[in-house]
Amino acid sequence: MKAGAGKMDLKKIVLGVIFLAASLIAPAVLPEAYVYLLGMMFLFLILVMSWDVIVGYTGQVNLGHTVFVGLGAYTAALMQVPSRFEGSIDFLAGMPQAPIPISILAGGIVAGLFGFAIGVITLRLRGYYFALVTAILPLVFMKSVFVFSEIFGGEEGFSIGLERSLAGDVTLRYYYALMLFLLSFAIIYAIVNSRIGLRFRAVRDDEDLAESIGVNVVRYKILSFVVSSFFGGIGGAAIIHYRITIGPDLYDIPLMLLIILSAVIGGLGTLYGPVFGGIVIYLMKSWWLREMLPSIPEWLPINDDVILYAILVAVGVLAPEGIWGKVKEFIRERSEIKSSQST
Amino acid sequence: MIDIAVRIIVYGAVVGGIWALVASGFSLIFGVARILNFAHGIFFILAAYIGIVLSKSGVNPYLATIISVLLVGGFAVAIYSGLLARIKEHEVMVIIVTLAIALLVEQMLIIIFGEHGISYPALISGVLKIGKTPITYKRILAFVVAIVVLALLQLFIHKTRTGKMIMASSQNYEGALLVGINVDRIFVITMFLSAVLAGIGGILYTQVFAASPGAAMKSLIFAFAIVILGGLGSIKGSIIAAFIIGYIITLANQFLGAQWAEFAALLIIIAILVFKPTGLFGVEE
Repeated sequence: MKAGAGKMDLKKIVLGVIFLAASLIAPAVLPEAYVYLLGMMFLFLILVMSWDVIVGYTGQVNLGHTVFVGLGAYTAALMQVPSRFEGSIDFLAGMPQAPIPISILAGGIVAGLFGFAIGVITLRLRGYYFALVTAILPLVFMKSVFVFSEIFGGEEGFSIGLERSLAGDVTLRYYYALMLFLLSFAIIYAIVNSRIGLRFRAVRDDEDLAESIGVNVVRYKILSFVVSSFFGGIGGAAIIHYRITIGPDLYDIPLMLLIILSAVIGGLGTLYGPVFGGIVIYLMKSWWLREMLPSIPEWLPINDDVILYAILVAVGVLAPEGIWGKVKEFIRERSEIKSSQST
Repeated sequence: MIDIAVRIIVYGAVVGGIWALVASGFSLIFGVARILNFAHGIFFILAAYIGIVLSKSGVNPYLATIISVLLVGGFAVAIYSGLLARIKEHEVMVIIVTLAIALLVEQMLIIIFGEHGISYPALISGVLKIGKTPITYKRILAFVVAIVVLALLQLFIHKTRTGKMIMASSQNYEGALLVGINVDRIFVITMFLSAVLAGIGGILYTQVFAASPGAAMKSLIFAFAIVILGGLGSIKGSIIAAFIIGYIITLANQFLGAQWAEFAALLIIIAILVFKPTGLFGVEE
């Protein structure tokens, strides 16, 4: 058993090194448009990983992750363009423009604080309240953005200006995105594999049992939610500085489904799985689906979102542990049959 | 002044009655099968769209209404038997899959019919005057139908054998199995009933207000607020809470503007969760 675990780790290291090497070389061999897309993908992966912390590792269904992404995004964007507060919250309009790292960090902090507030109210209750409340948040968030559109830009959103992007050069921006992804991955990896992460999983697997051995269930649920929201906010803020525009696609329900789909396909609570799923889904959405769509007959009421939702339903029903898990199971079964035949 | 008061009393009752149908359906399937059905709003809006299409193609509107409600019930049974029954034990997946179904259907409705609001063909016309306040017969019809259906639901659950089996399964799953109730069949019946309630609610709603595919999600928010206020799983609680919420929404509409209705719903939910998490008639988990 121990040897097996060691071998898995080696495999992961090899895969990781290949992944890293490919990511580093990518800008040298790919056209600029693809490099831009891959950079966006890394930031999207941060959203998927952070969602996995609360849902996959701690077992609390958060359906409003995009709200935290949106909060981070708006915090960063408004810190860059404080003049949008003029006429409504005037004392904020005079805010000096923040350096980019500060504005990204602030996005994470604001999202984390909001996560804490929602968590304190809903996570002390058992059962379905958390899912219900987080499901409503995106709709209320969207309403707020539209109602206070002179600040938030409503449906059109607004631009923070190219000079406030991570870097003028696409390749450099790509490397910043990659760096931020690796940093987030490392921190989340460290958290979920620490004693804290162990408690998250204990809460997920059996709340009563966790409580009986002295784990403060509510505290760890809230902690997990704050970590998850914080990184969601970081991801959202980074995306703003990557693509300089903010709009409803950053907090709308389709993005939520994209995040869920990625994590579910990869397998909840595995961190590697959601990263793998995120890559597959993001590329599929941005490339393959777009090329495939024209081949669908006009009269069918199908677009790319419909296909993604259908995939999610299919995966959820057929492989609730994720495709990655199914593949592993399949390989294990095959090797077990082989070893039993050989003995 | 009296004018506004009359209007609020009547409108609130109508809205409350409609949401009571939707929320009691949501509560029913949750109470019985512990399925948190995020696709519930789809039954609400789909019934309206099917009814509209049928009446446009020449079917009598009353007949179209009955057919569309039954079709939606059948659709719900198909979703349950084909998909949800396999993953019932996997709570997280039930939520995710029903949400995906909801968005899938909503997206297809948007592609077919567009995002703009539609109205259901008039089942009744005319205006009643209470003092100086005009009240359309449509609203009165919506209220009367809602009350009749809710009364029938109560009768069905408390007086018929199947209804009692539904209650038994909701109170104790294993106990119901032990006394020989075919719980799977009960789940299917409950799913049908739950969708039919939402479907009737949807048709009454689009009869009075314009509705668009986006109303599926909106109706879900109000259903959440109602079941949390009434207590998860309690049908009686849902019905009473629906009227409370109906009046709050109507007041918010009247004095603040329509865009504040969702805020009001969220504030109510937060307030209940802070002060009385089990709701008015909640059952302990």
